[in-house]
Amino acid sequence: MIGIRSVTKTFGALTALDDVSLDIADGTFLSLVGPSGSGKSTLLDLLGGLTTPTSGEVLIDGEPVRGPGLDRGVVFQQYALFPWRTARANVEFGLEGGPLGKRQRAERAREYLALVGLSGFEDRYPHELSGGMKQRVAIARSLAYDPAVLLMDEPFAALDAQTREQLQEELLRIWRRTGKTIVFITHGIDEAVYLGQRVAVLTSRPGRLKAVVDVDLGDRTGDVRSGPEFGRQRHRLWELLHDEVRKAAEHERSAAR
Amino acid sequence: MTTTLEAPSVHIGRTAPPPEPRRLRQKLTRAVHASAAVVLFVALWELVPRFVLDESTRTFLPPLSEDLHALWDLALDGELADHLLASVGRSAAGFAVAVAVAVPLGLLIGWYRPVARFLQPLLELARNTAALALLPVFTLLLGIGELSKVSLVVYACVWPVLLNTIAGVNTVDPLLVKAARSLGLSSPRLFRKVILPSAVPTVFTGIRMAASYSILVLVAAEMVGAKAGLGYLINTSQVNFQIQQMYAGIIAVSLLGVLVNSGFVVLERRFSTWRPKETP
Repeated sequence: MIGIRSVTKTFGALTALDDVSLDIADGTFLSLVGPSGSGKSTLLDLLGGLTTPTSGEVLIDGEPVRGPGLDRGVVFQQYALFPWRTARANVEFGLEGGPLGKRQRAERAREYLALVGLSGFEDRYPHELSGGMKQRVAIARSLAYDPAVLLMDEPFAALDAQTREQLQEELLRIWRRTGKTIVFITHGIDEAVYLGQRVAVLTSRPGRLKAVVDVDLGDRTGDVRSGPEFGRQRHRLWELLHDEVRKAAEHERSAAR
Repeated sequence: MTTTLEAPSVHIGRTAPPPEPRRLRQKLTRAVHASAAVVLFVALWELVPRFVLDESTRTFLPPLSEDLHALWDLALDGELADHLLASVGRSAAGFAVAVAVAVPLGLLIGWYRPVARFLQPLLELARNTAALALLPVFTLLLGIGELSKVSLVVYACVWPVLLNTIAGVNTVDPLLVKAARSLGLSSPRLFRKVILPSAVPTVFTGIRMAASYSILVLVAAEMVGAKAGLGYLINTSQVNFQIQQMYAGIIAVSLLGVLVNSGFVVLERRFSTWRPKETP
């Protein structure tokens, strides 16, 4: 279980996160939404151990986070693939230095590339892959060392609408199959509702936890997005976010003045 | 799902290559385009001295065929090989020392950013000091022999390698570093597995530049107080009024330069296959 306990994070005079508390049970798919500048990415960095809270603490299974580790995998918006490594070698990256031998690593990489639908693309370099395929490789890389938690920072934001929808479906399938805890940052309400069992809404700067909404869309098969339940949930979140987005815009305007 | 993913490879299979004659013609046109300027230059060099220049000027600028004949003679009696070996030996020695020193040093300086910031202005100054301007200094300090020549080559080669290595280390995509850190990599492993491979192409560009410099600088250095080498050959030929032989030496130098550079271009490409091909 992930426990975020009264976490505050400041950068100089700027407060990115203000007294955020949230528990995320094992196996949960949590979407995290908020206007730009609400500290979403900061929260993810804290979970990933890439930065430390100014006050409060982040616990994983009761243990405070002390830096990055292979119990958590991070997927970035810009893929962050190593361009000098093939798809397979990228997936192997997190396994190197671990207990697996060379052949086992290759086998594991092949297995996870197959899981994300990239069999046959093992020897391609990132520049030979489309955006969607790159993100698939990045997801495979993060899954390959079998972390309990997957942290995803707007992973589909740079993709075209069709590819995004495809990858959302794939991600749900992978989530069901692997039972990972997933924390998924997005600024898209639709995406948050479609993917998340729970959706956490952050306020505009400073980022506070405004609400956590439970989403129940059944098993999400078929055209869920057109159903009445999806619309209802979507509207609820829209109302929650609307004020915050307006506030963030005002804030930006006054800062620009 | 999988079908859409496999579509590209199927597509590649289906697009037929253009028919043989057309491809050949394309290749031919491209070859003509690429060599037109050189062919024109060669023709002018041959024809202008022969038909346009007057007698006295032609003595100083003989037609290309005469120069090539002189080159051929030099090659036959082994004299060319002697000079070539002398030059290449010095260049290679200076170049090797420069690379051996500058790559590790550049990695070190680049890795410690404050050091890089501290040294940068000095390095810029040193790099922009023409190596040949320092030839008299080297001669004063190290004498007129091999040591001063090789040292000059070292000096000229160090800067491109050093500066490119520093730049290579400094310009690593911070996102890649963040990704590696998120996997819990320690600093030494981060350096070995992310910084180093990411810097390789930039470092190699510096190495290629250094290889060119090593020949450019050396030939000039050999014009002063050397007993062998292509620079010496060119200079003594001029002094002894063996004009064809002088041009032969110049042609040899430029061929050597082209050869070395294209060799390194090929190597460079091998070291950076992962970079998207630059479209010409």
